[in-house]
Amino acid sequence: MRRKKINPWVILGYICLVVATLVVLFPLAVMVSSSFKDEMAIFDYPIKFIPENPILDNYRQLGEHFPRYIMNSFKVTIIIVIAQFITATTGGYAFAKLRWKGRDTVFLIYIGALMIPLQVYIIPQFILIRKIGLYDSHLALVLVSTFTALGTFLFKQFFMTIPDSLIESAKLDGATQIQIFTRIILPLSKPVIATQAILSFRWFWNDFFSPLIYITSEHLKTLPLGLADFASEYYTYYGPQMAASVLSIIPVMVLFFVAQKYIVQGIFTSGIKG
Amino acid sequence: MRRLLIKHDSVRDVLIFLLPSFLGFCIFILFPIIASVGLSFTNYRGGKTIAFVGLKNYLIAFHSSGFQEAFWVTLTFVVFTVFFQIVLGLVFALILNQKIVGRSFFRGIIFLPVVLSTIAISLAFMLIFNPQKGPVNNFLMSIGFDPLAWLASPKTSLMTVIIVTVWRQFGYYMVLLLCGLQTINPTLYEAAEIDGADSVRKFRHVTLPMLTPILFLCIILALIQAFQVFDQIFVLTGGQQGGGPAGSTTTLVFDIYLNAFNNWQMGYSCAEAIILLIIILVITVIQYKRQQKWVTYDII
Repeated sequence: MRRKKINPWVILGYICLVVATLVVLFPLAVMVSSSFKDEMAIFDYPIKFIPENPILDNYRQLGEHFPRYIMNSFKVTIIIVIAQFITATTGGYAFAKLRWKGRDTVFLIYIGALMIPLQVYIIPQFILIRKIGLYDSHLALVLVSTFTALGTFLFKQFFMTIPDSLIESAKLDGATQIQIFTRIILPLSKPVIATQAILSFRWFWNDFFSPLIYITSEHLKTLPLGLADFASEYYTYYGPQMAASVLSIIPVMVLFFVAQKYIVQGIFTSGIKG
Repeated sequence: MRRLLIKHDSVRDVLIFLLPSFLGFCIFILFPIIASVGLSFTNYRGGKTIAFVGLKNYLIAFHSSGFQEAFWVTLTFVVFTVFFQIVLGLVFALILNQKIVGRSFFRGIIFLPVVLSTIAISLAFMLIFNPQKGPVNNFLMSIGFDPLAWLASPKTSLMTVIIVTVWRQFGYYMVLLLCGLQTINPTLYEAAEIDGADSVRKFRHVTLPMLTPILFLCIILALIQAFQVFDQIFVLTGGQQGGGPAGSTTTLVFDIYLNAFNNWQMGYSCAEAIILLIIILVITVIQYKRQQKWVTYDII
Protein backbone atom coordinates (compact mmCIF):
# COMPACT_ATOMS: atom_id res chain seq x y z
CA MET A 1 0.00 0.00 0.00
CA ARG A 2 1.00 3.55 -0.58
CA ARG A 3 1.62 5.77 2.41
CA LYS A 4 -0.50 8.89 2.36
CA LYS A 5 -1.34 11.75 4.68
CA ILE A 6 -4.98 12.69 5.21
CA ASN A 7 -5.59 15.36 2.64
CA PRO A 8 -8.58 17.29 1.29
CA TRP A 9 -8.86 14.80 -1.57
CA VAL A 10 -9.57 11.97 0.82
CA ILE A 11 -12.31 14.02 2.49
CA LEU A 12 -13.78 14.77 -0.93
CA GLY A 13 -13.60 11.05 -1.63
CA TYR A 14 -15.65 10.27 1.48
CA ILE A 15 -18.22 12.86 0.50
CA CYS A 16 -18.54 11.26 -2.95
CA LEU A 17 -18.91 7.82 -1.38
CA VAL A 18 -21.60 8.94 1.02
CA VAL A 19 -23.53 10.70 -1.75
CA ALA A 20 -23.25 7.61 -3.99
CA THR A 21 -24.43 5.37 -1.16
CA LEU A 22 -27.48 7.57 -0.59
CA VAL A 23 -28.26 7.74 -4.31
CA VAL A 24 -27.99 3.96 -4.65
CA LEU A 25 -30.02 3.18 -1.54
CA PHE A 26 -32.73 5.80 -2.07
CA PRO A 27 -34.79 3.92 -4.71
CA LEU A 28 -34.42 0.67 -2.78
CA ALA A 29 -35.55 2.34 0.44
CA VAL A 30 -38.53 3.87 -1.37
CA MET A 31 -39.38 0.45 -2.79
CA VAL A 32 -39.29 -1.33 0.55
CA SER A 33 -41.09 1.34 2.56
CA SER A 34 -43.79 1.86 -0.08
CA SER A 35 -44.52 -1.84 -0.10
CA PHE A 36 -45.84 -1.43 3.46
CA LYS A 37 -47.88 1.71 2.80
CA ASP A 38 -51.36 2.36 1.41
CA GLU A 39 -51.64 4.29 -1.85
CA MET A 40 -52.26 7.61 -0.10
CA ALA A 41 -49.21 7.39 2.12
CA ILE A 42 -46.83 6.38 -0.68
CA PHE A 43 -46.67 9.89 -2.10
CA ASP A 44 -46.45 11.76 1.21
CA TYR A 45 -43.75 14.37 1.06
CA PRO A 46 -41.31 14.56 2.80
CA ILE A 47 -40.94 10.80 2.48
CA LYS A 48 -41.35 8.74 5.60
CA PHE A 49 -39.06 5.78 5.20
CA ILE A 50 -40.59 4.12 8.25
CA PRO A 51 -44.31 3.88 7.46
CA GLU A 52 -46.60 5.37 10.11
CA ASN A 53 -49.25 2.70 9.74
CA PRO A 54 -47.47 -0.27 8.17
CA ILE A 55 -49.84 -2.59 6.33
CA LEU A 56 -49.44 -5.99 4.72
CA ASP A 57 -52.32 -5.63 2.24
CA ASN A 58 -49.96 -5.07 -0.66
CA TYR A 59 -48.33 -8.42 -0.04
CA ARG A 60 -51.68 -10.16 0.42
CA GLN A 61 -52.72 -9.07 -3.06
CA LEU A 62 -49.80 -11.01 -4.50
CA GLY A 63 -51.04 -14.32 -3.10
CA GLU A 64 -52.93 -15.30 -6.22
CA HIS A 65 -50.09 -15.39 -8.77
CA PHE A 66 -46.74 -14.76 -7.19
CA PRO A 67 -46.17 -18.04 -5.34
CA ARG A 68 -46.45 -19.68 -8.78
CA TYR A 69 -44.03 -17.19 -10.41
CA ILE A 70 -41.52 -17.64 -7.63
CA MET A 71 -41.72 -21.42 -7.91
CA ASN A 72 -41.26 -21.22 -11.68
CA SER A 73 -38.30 -18.90 -11.34
CA PHE A 74 -36.58 -21.16 -8.82
CA LYS A 75 -37.26 -24.24 -10.92
CA VAL A 76 -36.06 -22.87 -14.26
CA THR A 77 -33.13 -20.98 -12.74
CA ILE A 78 -31.82 -24.04 -10.90
CA ILE A 79 -32.13 -26.23 -14.01
CA ILE A 80 -30.27 -23.60 -16.04
CA VAL A 81 -27.55 -23.28 -13.41
CA ILE A 82 -27.00 -27.05 -13.59
CA ALA A 83 -27.16 -27.15 -17.39
CA GLN A 84 -24.72 -24.25 -17.66
CA PHE A 85 -22.42 -26.00 -15.21
CA ILE A 86 -22.37 -29.10 -17.44
CA THR A 87 -21.80 -27.28 -20.74
CA ALA A 88 -19.31 -24.80 -19.32
CA THR A 89 -17.13 -27.37 -17.53
CA THR A 90 -17.06 -29.96 -20.32
CA GLY A 91 -16.62 -27.29 -22.98
CA GLY A 92 -13.98 -25.51 -20.94
CA TYR A 93 -12.11 -28.79 -20.53
CA ALA A 94 -12.29 -29.63 -24.24
CA PHE A 95 -10.96 -26.17 -25.08
CA ALA A 96 -8.29 -26.07 -22.37
CA LYS A 97 -6.89 -29.55 -21.91
CA LEU A 98 -7.79 -31.78 -24.82
CA ARG A 99 -5.68 -31.56 -27.94
CA TRP A 100 -7.47 -31.60 -31.25
CA LYS A 101 -7.26 -30.00 -34.63
CA GLY A 102 -9.05 -26.69 -35.02
CA ARG A 103 -9.55 -26.26 -31.27
CA ASP A 104 -8.71 -22.58 -31.09
CA THR A 105 -10.83 -21.71 -34.11
CA VAL A 106 -13.83 -23.55 -32.70
CA PHE A 107 -13.29 -21.79 -29.36
CA LEU A 108 -13.27 -18.39 -31.07
CA ILE A 109 -16.48 -19.20 -32.96
CA TYR A 110 -18.11 -20.45 -29.76
CA ILE A 111 -17.24 -17.41 -27.64
CA GLY A 112 -17.69 -14.94 -30.49
CA ALA A 113 -21.16 -16.18 -31.39
CA LEU A 114 -22.27 -16.18 -27.77
CA MET A 115 -21.16 -12.56 -27.43
CA ILE A 116 -23.62 -11.53 -30.14
CA PRO A 117 -26.74 -9.99 -28.58
CA LEU A 118 -29.67 -12.39 -28.44
CA GLN A 119 -31.89 -9.84 -30.17
CA VAL A 120 -29.86 -10.25 -33.36
CA TYR A 121 -30.97 -13.85 -33.83
CA ILE A 122 -34.12 -14.00 -31.72
CA ILE A 123 -36.45 -14.30 -34.74
CA PRO A 124 -34.99 -17.49 -36.30
CA GLN A 125 -34.56 -18.93 -32.80
CA PHE A 126 -38.20 -18.17 -32.05
CA ILE A 127 -39.32 -19.81 -35.33
CA LEU A 128 -37.16 -22.85 -34.56
CA ILE A 129 -38.54 -23.23 -31.04
CA ARG A 130 -42.09 -22.94 -32.38
CA LYS A 131 -41.41 -25.49 -35.16
CA ILE A 132 -40.16 -28.13 -32.72
CA GLY A 133 -43.22 -27.58 -30.55
CA LEU A 134 -41.53 -26.08 -27.52
CA TYR A 135 -43.09 -22.62 -27.64
CA ASP A 136 -44.60 -21.69 -24.28
CA SER A 137 -42.65 -24.25 -22.25
CA HIS A 138 -39.93 -24.06 -19.63
CA LEU A 139 -37.81 -26.39 -21.74
CA ALA A 140 -37.56 -23.66 -24.38
CA LEU A 141 -36.07 -21.29 -21.80
CA VAL A 142 -33.58 -23.93 -20.70
CA LEU A 143 -32.49 -24.83 -24.23
CA VAL A 144 -31.82 -21.26 -25.31
CA SER A 145 -30.12 -20.23 -22.05
CA THR A 146 -27.79 -23.18 -21.51
CA PHE A 147 -24.80 -21.95 -23.47
CA THR A 148 -22.60 -19.42 -21.79
CA ALA A 149 -19.61 -17.53 -23.12
CA LEU A 150 -18.71 -16.24 -19.68
CA GLY A 151 -18.91 -19.63 -17.97
CA THR A 152 -17.00 -21.50 -20.65
CA PHE A 153 -14.35 -18.81 -20.65
CA LEU A 154 -14.13 -18.84 -16.85
CA PHE A 155 -13.61 -22.61 -16.71
CA LYS A 156 -11.20 -22.67 -19.65
CA GLN A 157 -9.05 -20.03 -17.95
CA PHE A 158 -9.06 -21.97 -14.71
CA PHE A 159 -8.36 -25.37 -16.27
CA MET A 160 -5.37 -23.92 -18.10
CA THR A 161 -3.74 -23.20 -14.73
CA ILE A 162 -3.90 -26.88 -13.79
CA PRO A 163 -0.55 -28.47 -14.71
CA ASP A 164 -0.58 -30.96 -17.58
CA SER A 165 1.68 -33.25 -15.60
CA LEU A 166 -1.21 -33.99 -13.25
CA ILE A 167 -3.30 -35.23 -16.15
CA GLU A 168 -0.39 -37.09 -17.75
CA SER A 169 0.42 -39.01 -14.60
CA ALA A 170 -3.23 -39.96 -14.12
CA LYS A 171 -3.22 -41.22 -17.70
CA LEU A 172 -0.17 -43.34 -16.97
CA ASP A 173 -2.09 -44.82 -14.06
CA GLY A 174 -4.71 -45.88 -16.57
CA ALA A 175 -7.37 -43.25 -15.92
CA THR A 176 -9.71 -42.31 -18.78
CA GLN A 177 -10.37 -38.66 -19.65
CA ILE A 178 -13.78 -38.88 -17.99
CA GLN A 179 -12.27 -40.19 -14.77
CA ILE A 180 -9.60 -37.50 -14.86
CA PHE A 181 -12.29 -34.88 -15.37
CA THR A 182 -14.67 -36.01 -12.64
CA ARG A 183 -12.10 -37.14 -10.03
CA ILE A 184 -9.26 -34.68 -10.46
CA ILE A 185 -10.32 -31.61 -12.39
CA LEU A 186 -13.78 -30.92 -10.93
CA PRO A 187 -12.76 -31.31 -7.26
CA LEU A 188 -9.97 -28.79 -7.91
CA SER A 189 -12.43 -26.31 -9.41
CA LYS A 190 -14.76 -25.78 -6.45
CA PRO A 191 -14.21 -22.00 -6.14
CA VAL A 192 -14.81 -21.47 -9.87
CA ILE A 193 -17.87 -23.68 -9.76
CA ALA A 194 -19.27 -21.55 -6.93
CA THR A 195 -18.53 -18.34 -8.83
CA GLN A 196 -20.10 -19.59 -12.02
CA ALA A 197 -23.18 -20.97 -10.22
CA ILE A 198 -23.80 -17.62 -8.52
CA LEU A 199 -23.31 -15.63 -11.70
CA SER A 200 -25.65 -17.81 -13.70
CA PHE A 201 -28.26 -17.88 -10.92
CA ARG A 202 -28.30 -14.12 -10.79
CA TRP A 203 -28.37 -13.90 -14.57
CA PHE A 204 -31.35 -16.10 -15.24
CA TRP A 205 -33.25 -15.05 -12.12
CA ASN A 206 -33.33 -11.54 -13.60
CA ASP A 207 -33.64 -12.54 -17.25
CA PHE A 208 -36.64 -10.91 -18.83
CA PHE A 209 -36.20 -11.07 -22.59
CA SER A 210 -36.38 -14.81 -23.26
CA PRO A 211 -39.38 -15.40 -20.96
CA LEU A 212 -41.08 -12.44 -22.68
CA ILE A 213 -40.58 -14.08 -26.07
CA TYR A 214 -41.17 -17.72 -25.17
CA ILE A 215 -43.78 -17.78 -22.39
CA THR A 216 -47.44 -16.79 -22.66
CA SER A 217 -49.27 -19.10 -20.23
CA GLU A 218 -50.02 -17.56 -16.87
CA HIS A 219 -48.95 -20.68 -14.97
CA LEU A 220 -45.53 -20.81 -16.70
CA LYS A 221 -44.41 -17.22 -16.18
CA THR A 222 -41.20 -16.55 -14.32
CA LEU A 223 -40.85 -13.75 -11.79
CA PRO A 224 -39.54 -10.89 -14.00
CA LEU A 225 -42.19 -11.55 -16.65
CA GLY A 226 -44.94 -11.98 -14.07
CA LEU A 227 -43.79 -8.79 -12.36
CA ALA A 228 -43.82 -6.75 -15.57
CA ASP A 229 -47.25 -8.06 -16.58
CA PHE A 230 -48.61 -7.48 -13.10
CA ALA A 231 -47.28 -3.93 -13.16
CA SER A 232 -48.86 -3.12 -16.51
CA GLU A 233 -52.17 -4.50 -15.31
CA TYR A 234 -52.14 -2.65 -11.98
CA TYR A 235 -50.14 0.31 -13.21
CA THR A 236 -51.90 2.81 -10.98
CA TYR A 237 -51.35 0.76 -7.83
CA TYR A 238 -47.83 1.36 -6.62
CA GLY A 239 -48.13 -0.49 -3.30
CA PRO A 240 -48.63 -3.99 -4.74
CA GLN A 241 -46.03 -3.29 -7.45
CA MET A 242 -43.44 -2.39 -4.85
CA ALA A 243 -44.32 -5.43 -2.74
CA ALA A 244 -43.84 -7.67 -5.78
CA SER A 245 -40.55 -5.93 -6.59
CA VAL A 246 -39.29 -6.49 -3.07
CA LEU A 247 -40.10 -10.20 -3.35
CA SER A 248 -38.25 -10.46 -6.64
CA ILE A 249 -35.04 -8.87 -5.40
CA ILE A 250 -34.80 -10.64 -2.04
CA PRO A 251 -33.23 -13.93 -3.24
CA VAL A 252 -30.45 -12.24 -5.25
CA MET A 253 -29.87 -9.75 -2.49
CA VAL A 254 -29.35 -12.55 0.04
CA LEU A 255 -27.10 -14.35 -2.44
CA PHE A 256 -25.17 -11.15 -3.01
CA PHE A 257 -24.44 -10.46 0.63
CA VAL A 258 -23.50 -14.07 1.34
CA ALA A 259 -21.31 -14.54 -1.72
CA GLN A 260 -20.06 -11.10 -2.72
CA LYS A 261 -16.51 -12.41 -2.75
CA TYR A 262 -17.29 -14.95 -5.48
CA ILE A 263 -19.20 -12.46 -7.61
CA VAL A 264 -16.35 -9.96 -7.58
CA GLN A 265 -13.91 -12.79 -8.25
CA GLY A 266 -15.94 -13.89 -11.26
CA ILE A 267 -16.09 -10.41 -12.72
CA PHE A 268 -12.39 -10.06 -12.18
CA THR A 269 -11.37 -13.32 -13.89
CA SER A 270 -13.76 -12.92 -16.78
CA GLY A 271 -12.88 -9.28 -17.21
CA ILE A 272 -9.13 -9.47 -17.14
CA LYS A 273 -8.17 -12.04 -19.69
CA GLY A 274 -5.52 -13.77 -17.65
CA MET B 1 8.27 -27.98 -23.29
CA ARG B 2 7.69 -31.42 -24.71
CA ARG B 3 6.42 -30.24 -28.04
CA LEU B 4 7.62 -33.30 -29.92
CA LEU B 5 5.51 -35.59 -27.81
CA ILE B 6 2.22 -33.69 -28.24
CA LYS B 7 -0.42 -36.07 -29.51
CA HIS B 8 -4.02 -35.40 -30.31
CA ASP B 9 -6.61 -36.86 -28.00
CA SER B 10 -8.89 -39.52 -29.41
CA VAL B 11 -11.90 -38.31 -31.37
CA ARG B 12 -14.16 -40.13 -28.94
CA ASP B 13 -12.80 -38.25 -25.93
CA VAL B 14 -13.05 -34.91 -27.68
CA LEU B 15 -16.63 -35.55 -28.73
CA ILE B 16 -17.69 -36.62 -25.25
CA PHE B 17 -16.49 -33.32 -23.85
CA LEU B 18 -17.38 -31.08 -26.75
CA LEU B 19 -20.86 -32.28 -27.65
CA PRO B 20 -22.83 -31.22 -24.56
CA SER B 21 -22.02 -27.60 -25.26
CA PHE B 22 -21.37 -27.58 -28.97
CA LEU B 23 -24.30 -29.54 -30.36
CA GLY B 24 -26.96 -27.41 -28.70
CA PHE B 25 -24.95 -24.31 -29.44
CA CYS B 26 -25.02 -25.10 -33.16
CA ILE B 27 -28.77 -25.72 -33.13
CA PHE B 28 -29.98 -22.90 -30.90
CA ILE B 29 -27.35 -20.18 -31.34
CA LEU B 30 -25.17 -20.61 -34.42
CA PHE B 31 -27.89 -21.74 -36.80
CA PRO B 32 -30.25 -18.88 -35.83
CA ILE B 33 -27.44 -16.36 -36.33
CA ILE B 34 -26.84 -17.63 -39.86
CA ALA B 35 -30.57 -17.95 -40.52
CA SER B 36 -31.03 -14.35 -39.41
CA VAL B 37 -28.79 -13.22 -42.26
CA GLY B 38 -30.78 -15.40 -44.66
CA LEU B 39 -34.19 -14.21 -43.44
CA SER B 40 -33.14 -10.58 -43.81
CA PHE B 41 -33.26 -11.06 -47.59
CA THR B 42 -36.86 -12.34 -47.53
CA ASN B 43 -40.33 -10.96 -46.95
CA TYR B 44 -41.12 -13.52 -44.23
CA ARG B 45 -44.04 -12.45 -42.02
CA GLY B 46 -44.39 -15.49 -39.81
CA GLY B 47 -46.87 -17.25 -42.08
CA LYS B 48 -46.49 -19.88 -44.77
CA THR B 49 -45.31 -17.71 -47.64
CA ILE B 50 -41.74 -16.61 -48.02
CA ALA B 51 -39.99 -15.03 -50.99
CA PHE B 52 -36.53 -13.73 -51.71
CA VAL B 53 -36.54 -9.93 -51.99
CA GLY B 54 -32.83 -9.19 -52.19
CA LEU B 55 -31.69 -6.04 -50.46
CA LYS B 56 -35.18 -4.53 -50.31
CA ASN B 57 -35.47 -4.75 -46.51
CA TYR B 58 -32.17 -2.97 -46.08
CA LEU B 59 -33.16 -0.23 -48.51
CA ILE B 60 -36.48 0.24 -46.73
CA ALA B 61 -34.68 0.48 -43.41
CA PHE B 62 -32.25 3.14 -44.65
CA HIS B 63 -35.09 5.23 -46.02
CA SER B 64 -37.55 4.73 -43.17
CA SER B 65 -37.85 7.56 -40.70
CA GLY B 66 -38.67 5.05 -37.96
CA PHE B 67 -35.36 3.28 -38.44
CA GLN B 68 -33.36 6.50 -38.62
CA GLU B 69 -35.00 7.78 -35.47
CA ALA B 70 -34.28 4.51 -33.69
CA PHE B 71 -30.70 4.75 -34.86
CA TRP B 72 -30.23 8.23 -33.36
CA VAL B 73 -32.01 7.28 -30.15
CA THR B 74 -29.69 4.28 -29.83
CA LEU B 75 -26.61 6.35 -30.54
CA THR B 76 -27.58 9.02 -27.99
CA PHE B 77 -28.33 6.37 -25.41
CA VAL B 78 -25.07 4.51 -26.06
CA VAL B 79 -22.84 7.59 -25.98
CA PHE B 80 -24.29 8.99 -22.75
CA THR B 81 -24.57 5.73 -20.82
CA VAL B 82 -21.10 4.52 -21.79
CA PHE B 83 -19.54 7.89 -20.96
CA PHE B 84 -21.14 8.28 -17.55
CA GLN B 85 -20.73 4.62 -16.58
CA ILE B 86 -17.02 4.66 -17.33
CA VAL B 87 -16.34 8.08 -15.79
CA LEU B 88 -18.29 7.34 -12.61
CA GLY B 89 -16.84 3.84 -12.49
CA LEU B 90 -13.32 5.25 -12.76
CA VAL B 91 -13.87 8.01 -10.19
CA PHE B 92 -15.21 5.60 -7.59
CA ALA B 93 -12.58 2.99 -8.39
CA LEU B 94 -9.90 5.62 -7.76
CA ILE B 95 -11.53 6.69 -4.50
CA LEU B 96 -11.89 3.12 -3.29
CA ASN B 97 -8.32 2.33 -4.24
CA GLN B 98 -7.22 4.63 -1.39
CA LYS B 99 -7.01 3.56 2.21
CA ILE B 100 -10.67 4.15 2.95
CA VAL B 101 -12.47 3.13 6.11
CA GLY B 102 -15.41 0.87 5.20
CA ARG B 103 -14.05 0.17 1.76
CA SER B 104 -15.76 -3.17 1.20
CA PHE B 105 -19.03 -1.72 2.54
CA PHE B 106 -19.00 1.11 0.00
CA ARG B 107 -17.89 -1.21 -2.78
CA GLY B 108 -20.73 -3.60 -1.94
CA ILE B 109 -23.37 -0.88 -1.88
CA ILE B 110 -22.31 0.70 -5.16
CA PHE B 111 -22.15 -2.71 -6.82
CA LEU B 112 -25.51 -3.84 -5.40
CA PRO B 113 -27.81 -2.50 -8.19
CA VAL B 114 -25.90 -4.58 -10.75
CA VAL B 115 -27.26 -7.81 -9.32
CA LEU B 116 -30.87 -6.69 -8.94
CA SER B 117 -33.73 -7.27 -11.35
CA THR B 118 -34.01 -4.47 -13.88
CA ILE B 119 -37.77 -4.88 -13.90
CA ALA B 120 -38.08 -4.31 -10.15
CA ILE B 121 -35.70 -1.37 -10.24
CA SER B 122 -37.52 0.22 -13.15
CA LEU B 123 -40.81 0.00 -11.27
CA ALA B 124 -39.28 1.77 -8.27
CA PHE B 125 -37.96 4.52 -10.54
CA MET B 126 -41.40 4.97 -12.10
CA LEU B 127 -42.69 5.78 -8.64
CA ILE B 128 -39.79 8.11 -7.91
CA PHE B 129 -40.10 9.95 -11.23
CA ASN B 130 -43.89 10.11 -11.12
CA PRO B 131 -44.63 13.48 -12.80
CA GLN B 132 -47.58 14.47 -10.59
CA LYS B 133 -46.61 13.43 -7.10
CA GLY B 134 -43.25 11.64 -7.19
CA PRO B 135 -40.60 12.49 -4.59
CA VAL B 136 -38.12 13.84 -7.15
CA ASN B 137 -40.55 16.42 -8.47
CA ASN B 138 -41.64 17.28 -4.94
CA PHE B 139 -38.02 17.87 -4.10
CA LEU B 140 -37.45 20.01 -7.21
CA MET B 141 -40.46 22.15 -6.34
CA SER B 142 -39.41 22.52 -2.72
CA ILE B 143 -36.11 24.07 -3.82
CA GLY B 144 -37.84 26.32 -6.30
CA PHE B 145 -37.48 24.48 -9.60
CA ASP B 146 -40.20 23.56 -12.06
CA PRO B 147 -41.25 19.91 -11.95
CA LEU B 148 -40.16 17.78 -14.94
CA ALA B 149 -42.35 15.36 -16.87
CA TRP B 150 -39.59 12.69 -16.82
CA LEU B 151 -40.89 9.59 -18.59
CA ALA B 152 -44.07 11.29 -19.77
CA SER B 153 -42.48 13.72 -22.19
CA PRO B 154 -40.51 12.97 -25.38
CA LYS B 155 -37.98 15.61 -24.29
CA THR B 156 -36.98 13.98 -21.03
CA SER B 157 -37.90 10.30 -21.37
CA LEU B 158 -34.63 9.16 -22.93
CA MET B 159 -32.66 11.10 -20.32
CA THR B 160 -34.63 9.36 -17.58
CA VAL B 161 -33.88 5.94 -19.05
CA ILE B 162 -30.20 6.91 -19.24
CA ILE B 163 -30.20 7.96 -15.57
CA VAL B 164 -31.74 4.66 -14.49
CA THR B 165 -29.28 2.68 -16.62
CA VAL B 166 -26.22 4.52 -15.34
CA TRP B 167 -27.49 4.16 -11.76
CA ARG B 168 -27.81 0.43 -12.26
CA GLN B 169 -24.59 -0.30 -14.14
CA PHE B 170 -21.72 1.95 -13.12
CA GLY B 171 -20.89 -0.21 -10.11
CA TYR B 172 -19.98 -3.01 -12.49
CA TYR B 173 -17.31 -0.93 -14.19
CA MET B 174 -16.15 0.36 -10.84
CA VAL B 175 -15.41 -3.19 -9.69
CA LEU B 176 -13.62 -4.05 -12.95
CA LEU B 177 -11.51 -0.89 -12.83
CA LEU B 178 -10.79 -1.37 -9.15
CA CYS B 179 -9.46 -4.84 -9.93
CA GLY B 180 -7.36 -3.25 -12.65
CA LEU B 181 -5.98 -0.62 -10.26
CA GLN B 182 -4.98 -3.26 -7.77
CA THR B 183 -2.88 -5.09 -10.32
CA ILE B 184 -0.68 -2.01 -10.85
CA ASN B 185 2.76 -2.66 -9.48
CA PRO B 186 3.33 -0.43 -6.39
CA THR B 187 7.03 -0.05 -7.21
CA LEU B 188 6.00 2.11 -10.16
CA TYR B 189 4.52 4.65 -7.76
CA GLU B 190 7.58 4.53 -5.58
CA ALA B 191 9.77 5.16 -8.61
CA ALA B 192 7.57 8.09 -9.61
CA GLU B 193 7.79 9.52 -6.08
CA ILE B 194 11.55 9.31 -6.16
CA ASP B 195 11.44 11.25 -9.42
CA GLY B 196 9.41 13.89 -7.57
CA ALA B 197 6.02 13.32 -9.12
CA ASP B 198 2.95 14.76 -7.34
CA SER B 199 -0.37 12.87 -7.22
CA VAL B 200 -1.70 14.44 -10.42
CA ARG B 201 1.42 13.42 -12.30
CA LYS B 202 1.38 9.96 -10.77
CA PHE B 203 -2.17 9.60 -12.03
CA ARG B 204 -1.35 10.84 -15.53
CA HIS B 205 1.89 9.00 -16.02
CA VAL B 206 1.47 5.83 -13.98
CA THR B 207 -2.16 5.04 -13.17
CA LEU B 208 -3.76 5.98 -16.45
CA PRO B 209 -1.30 4.26 -18.81
CA MET B 210 -1.26 1.11 -16.69
CA LEU B 211 -5.04 1.08 -16.55
CA THR B 212 -5.63 1.38 -20.29
CA PRO B 213 -5.99 -2.37 -21.04
CA ILE B 214 -8.81 -2.76 -18.54
CA LEU B 215 -10.28 0.62 -19.49
CA PHE B 216 -10.39 -0.55 -23.08
CA LEU B 217 -12.14 -3.74 -22.05
CA CYS B 218 -14.68 -1.76 -19.99
CA ILE B 219 -15.51 0.49 -22.92
CA ILE B 220 -16.07 -2.49 -25.24
CA LEU B 221 -18.26 -4.26 -22.65
CA ALA B 222 -20.22 -1.08 -21.93
CA LEU B 223 -20.79 -0.46 -25.64
CA ILE B 224 -22.09 -3.97 -26.29
CA GLN B 225 -24.29 -3.75 -23.18
CA ALA B 226 -25.69 -0.37 -24.14
CA PHE B 227 -26.62 -1.46 -27.65
CA GLN B 228 -28.63 -4.34 -26.18
CA VAL B 229 -30.69 -2.31 -23.73
CA PHE B 230 -34.25 -3.57 -23.60
CA ASP B 231 -35.73 -4.35 -20.18
CA GLN B 232 -35.68 -0.79 -18.80
CA ILE B 233 -37.19 0.60 -21.96
CA PHE B 234 -39.91 -2.02 -21.99
CA VAL B 235 -40.95 -1.29 -18.42
CA LEU B 236 -40.23 2.42 -18.10
CA THR B 237 -41.78 3.53 -21.34
CA GLY B 238 -44.87 1.60 -22.06
CA GLY B 239 -44.52 -2.16 -22.45
CA GLN B 240 -45.95 -3.88 -25.50
CA GLN B 241 -46.83 -0.72 -27.38
CA GLY B 242 -43.68 0.78 -25.89
CA GLY B 243 -40.97 3.08 -27.05
CA GLY B 244 -41.95 6.07 -24.95
CA PRO B 245 -43.87 9.16 -25.89
CA ALA B 246 -43.54 9.75 -29.67
CA GLY B 247 -41.03 6.93 -30.03
CA SER B 248 -38.52 8.94 -28.00
CA THR B 249 -37.03 5.84 -26.41
CA THR B 250 -37.42 3.35 -29.27
CA THR B 251 -33.91 2.00 -29.67
CA LEU B 252 -32.89 -0.31 -32.49
CA VAL B 253 -33.33 -3.39 -30.34
CA PHE B 254 -36.75 -2.22 -29.28
CA ASP B 255 -37.68 -1.49 -32.88
CA ILE B 256 -36.55 -5.01 -33.83
CA TYR B 257 -38.77 -6.41 -31.10
CA LEU B 258 -41.80 -4.34 -32.13
CA ASN B 259 -41.45 -5.13 -35.82
CA ALA B 260 -40.94 -8.83 -35.21
CA PHE B 261 -43.43 -9.60 -32.47
CA ASN B 262 -46.05 -6.86 -32.81
CA ASN B 263 -46.08 -6.21 -36.56
CA TRP B 264 -44.87 -9.67 -37.62
CA GLN B 265 -42.51 -8.20 -40.21
CA MET B 266 -39.87 -10.79 -39.51
CA GLY B 267 -37.82 -10.40 -42.67
CA TYR B 268 -37.53 -6.66 -42.21
CA SER B 269 -36.81 -7.07 -38.53
CA CYS B 270 -33.97 -9.48 -39.31
CA ALA B 271 -32.48 -6.89 -41.66
CA GLU B 272 -32.54 -4.38 -38.78
CA ALA B 273 -30.91 -6.97 -36.54
CA ILE B 274 -28.13 -7.58 -39.05
CA ILE B 275 -27.52 -3.83 -39.35
CA LEU B 276 -27.27 -3.69 -35.56
CA LEU B 277 -24.81 -6.57 -35.59
CA ILE B 278 -22.69 -4.85 -38.23
CA ILE B 279 -22.66 -1.61 -36.23
CA ILE B 280 -21.49 -3.47 -33.12
CA LEU B 281 -18.83 -5.36 -35.09
CA VAL B 282 -17.53 -2.20 -36.76
CA ILE B 283 -17.29 -0.35 -33.43
CA THR B 284 -15.51 -3.29 -31.83
CA VAL B 285 -13.04 -3.54 -34.70
CA ILE B 286 -12.38 0.23 -34.71
CA GLN B 287 -11.82 0.18 -30.96
CA TYR B 288 -9.58 -2.83 -31.34
CA LYS B 289 -7.50 -1.12 -34.03
CA ARG B 290 -7.28 2.12 -32.08
CA GLN B 291 -6.30 0.40 -28.87
CA GLN B 292 -2.83 -0.20 -30.30
CA LYS B 293 -2.31 3.56 -30.13
CA TRP B 294 -3.45 4.24 -26.59
CA VAL B 295 -3.36 0.96 -24.70
CA THR B 296 -0.20 0.09 -22.81
CA TYR B 297 0.46 -3.61 -22.62
CA ASP B 298 3.99 -3.77 -21.22
CA ILE B 299 3.05 -4.49 -17.64
CA ILE B 300 6.07 -4.73 -15.39
